[in-house]
Amino acid sequence: MIDSTGNAPKIEKYLARVRVALRGLPEREIDDILRELRSYVDEFAGKEVPGVEAALRSLGDPLELARTYRSENQMVRAQCSGSPLVILQGLRHAGGGTLERVTTTALFVLGYFGLGILWAAALEKILVPSRGGLWYIPGNLWSTTLVVGGNPPAAAVELLGWWIVPIAGLAGLAVKYFTDRIAQWWIGRYRRSTSIPRSVN
Amino acid sequence: MARSGPAEAFVDSPIGKWEVQLRKGCLELAIFGCLWSGKLYGLEILRRLESDADLVLSAGTVYPLLSRLKAEGLLKSEWVEGDAGHPRKYYQLTAAGRRRAMEMAKLWTRFSANLKGLLSPVLKEDGK
Repeated sequence: MIDSTGNAPKIEKYLARVRVALRGLPEREIDDILRELRSYVDEFAGKEVPGVEAALRSLGDPLELARTYRSENQMVRAQCSGSPLVILQGLRHAGGGTLERVTTTALFVLGYFGLGILWAAALEKILVPSRGGLWYIPGNLWSTTLVVGGNPPAAAVELLGWWIVPIAGLAGLAVKYFTDRIAQWWIGRYRRSTSIPRSVN
Repeated sequence: MARSGPAEAFVDSPIGKWEVQLRKGCLELAIFGCLWSGKLYGLEILRRLESDADLVLSAGTVYPLLSRLKAEGLLKSEWVEGDAGHPRKYYQLTAAGRRRAMEMAKLWTRFSANLKGLLSPVLKEDGK
């Protein structure tokens, strides 16, 4: 079949390039994609006169093809994932203007920074109860400080006590929820569909 | 797909770009239409789009889209070892995909019927 026509190296080279460019997707998904592409080339080459060359031409540039797979799949995964890394990758592949993308990404990073601060504060209270927590200087509410990795101001008194642990924990979860939802809404809104038919009759 | 010079010039023209956007918008619906009555594998979908809807698409366009529709839970797939000597990946609509297809088909029909009424004087003028 294909091997007898001497086209196997062309196919292998093409698929190898797609595999490299798909790096980052789950291995099982990559194997499935490559299996389907190989099946398509085998099928096409078996029925059409131009054979393998035409099949590969119809798939297009291997890097571009892999980019299309990655962007389509990562954006879908980002929209239903709770992983910040997956959502960040989705943001990277979403369309929209550069300024909008940078702003949303910055807000997303800021949201997770806030989550980190809140959870670190809760952890600090558990690990170093005498130091961690929300502190303020009596008579001056503006001096309220969430202590993370430092010492409370002199003459400060603690505001929440052990309540800081569940409150910061839940507030962190709320921040993560809204940060993820906003980013996923944005990805959904600006999902760059690469499914643009280029051929015109 | 290899394209000739005039075809490429058409795609780059304003009307050509508009047509590309139009096709882009209805491609998902066209794929749902292909799969409505049964399961098909990738090359069959490409052929069906071309023969039944005059949509000439490259494999590099359709396969990633099928992958995405599957990831969205609108399609499901299975590998079948057939007589062809190589396995084929068959796609079919899920229940969610069928619901989506029905909604899209209704919207499309209503939209095109409304537009047809609006455009009939334009087409009459063109026919003169």
